[in-house]
Amino acid sequence: MNTFNEIRIFDQQFYNLLEAMPDAMVVTDRNGQIILANTLAMELFSYTKESFIGMTIDLFLPERFRMSYAKHRADYIKHPHQRTMEAGLELFGLRSDKTEFPAEICMNHIHINNEIFVLSTIRNISERKKSDEKFHALVESVPDAVVIVDQQGNIVLVNSQTEKLFGYKGHELLGNAVEMLIPKRFSERHVIQREGYFSHPKVRGLKSGLELYGVKKDGMEFPVEISLSPMPADNGALVFSLIRDITERKQREELRRFELEEQNRRIQETTRLKSEFLANMSHELRTPLNGIIGFAEFLVDEKPGPLNAKQKEYLLDILSSGKHLLQLLNDILDLAKVEAGKISFVATKFSVKRTIDEVCSIIHPTAVKKNISVTVETTIDPDIVSLDQQKFKQVLYNLLSNAVKFTHHGGSVHVGGGAWSEDRFCIQVSDTGIGIRKEDIPKLFNEFQQIDSGMTKQFEGTGLGLAITKKFVELQQGFIQVKSEFGKGSVFIVVLPKQFGEIITP
Amino acid sequence: MKQSVFIVDDNHINLKLICDVLSYEGFTVYSAEDAETALSVIIDRQPGVILMDIQLPRMDGLTLTRILKSKPETSHIPIIAVTSFAMAGDEEKAMSAGCDGYLTKPIDTHTLPVLVRQFLESSTSNKNSQS
Repeated sequence: MNTFNEIRIFDQQFYNLLEAMPDAMVVTDRNGQIILANTLAMELFSYTKESFIGMTIDLFLPERFRMSYAKHRADYIKHPHQRTMEAGLELFGLRSDKTEFPAEICMNHIHINNEIFVLSTIRNISERKKSDEKFHALVESVPDAVVIVDQQGNIVLVNSQTEKLFGYKGHELLGNAVEMLIPKRFSERHVIQREGYFSHPKVRGLKSGLELYGVKKDGMEFPVEISLSPMPADNGALVFSLIRDITERKQREELRRFELEEQNRRIQETTRLKSEFLANMSHELRTPLNGIIGFAEFLVDEKPGPLNAKQKEYLLDILSSGKHLLQLLNDILDLAKVEAGKISFVATKFSVKRTIDEVCSIIHPTAVKKNISVTVETTIDPDIVSLDQQKFKQVLYNLLSNAVKFTHHGGSVHVGGGAWSEDRFCIQVSDTGIGIRKEDIPKLFNEFQQIDSGMTKQFEGTGLGLAITKKFVELQQGFIQVKSEFGKGSVFIVVLPKQFGEIITP
Repeated sequence: MKQSVFIVDDNHINLKLICDVLSYEGFTVYSAEDAETALSVIIDRQPGVILMDIQLPRMDGLTLTRILKSKPETSHIPIIAVTSFAMAGDEEKAMSAGCDGYLTKPIDTHTLPVLVRQFLESSTSNKNSQS
């Protein structure tokens, strides 16, 4: 047979070389008849050497490929060249038992005695196919749109989420510049950014707050979040990007912001109404109090006629209850003003020392009754400050009256004043009173929170004094501190600027 | 003619209190519970000082003050605003309407007669210096 003559053309060396190849190899003549094959090739197609040699190579392809392959082979003989293994060319091999496997075929040719022979390398790529499929399944399973882009900015792979999100079919995207998915006004910048990314590739996670937009096939824009990661590939790096449509989230955020604003507006409105209500209520309550306090005072003074001791005592009780109620109203009114932002500070120049003395003289009668000594010592120099004097007095009065109130008979209260910094001074009011438990100190400045309800009977007060004091001090950019030892006494320190408030020029 | 005090207040208990406190101190006291009545009586009686409640039914105390201060026959009479308003700006409003003094309720029964006497004395001396 012709075949065996042909074999003789190749010597043993050539045969050994073929056998040593790591891939299945066959040598065919110009008609596609197998002249020579290595063991790997016979094994690949499950043939014995005897039945293999002499067959036409077309028979190792499934029937559906034979026609086109024969033509392909004829073309190759006419224009022989080296054809490397190429991805993307779907070929299948057919085994002797008629089973198929995905194959990749690489061809080259040699001339011996003016005759052309074709060398083909056949590779079973089912494993690679499987891993490709796995990769595709993986990409498909990603809930976000996946777009893989090459160094030139062309799309090389998308998943169906991308098709759905952008409204393109896969083939409309593949091979095109990724900028087609970006609004026009960003595309120029994107090219620069993309090139920059390839020169310094690094993983960039999904980040919010970047204000990125995608554009659909129909031109509709939508907000997106994008993550990027470099992906090494045979022919240069690729970029793997995840694109997430955040329209809904943006809308939710927008709604939430709107709700918060609305809520905030309502809270402010409620606060305003509350303050207004408190102001009105204080006003309305003041009118009948005028009668109660006024007539009680009038009677105590025995203007309409003499009283017996019991009558006088009870009238004094009415009077002091009335005055307590009045103080409460004044305090509530002050707090309402603070909360409504209606409080204003009018600065005048005054002496701190003299003001302390004035407030001490108001406290004096109460202190004397309890045999409490009140001492004052200030080192503020110069002693003149420019503040709202009335509010400064109110702060001092609150602290001093508290100190006297919570100090036992025979104790002492001391008022100290000194420099705090270049432009601030401090006032210290210390007493030898009942003191405050550590855990109670934070509650001290809350409204209606006189410490230890059991004591309220012993120490009458509105429970608003310190809340107002703190607010007044803080509104003037100062602060208040407390140091206390339970059972031993307390120190209240107020730090205020030397100048604060509107200066009214007469 | 003995110097008298005119009191305008729509709350009759408050009105009684101020009237009684001042009567016991020896002042001659006239009163009205609304601005319209007050206006005619004041023109007629020519009091030495007016204690004016600001919140009144119909015409309020500030309007009455403006009217009195615009009439030549009453413009010289000092007016003390008596109000339970205690919001910032209330005093300024009263003063700009033409009030000469400002008192907040509840009134202090000890200081009220002192203040009234001061106003009467100053208006008398004004009158004397004018004549």
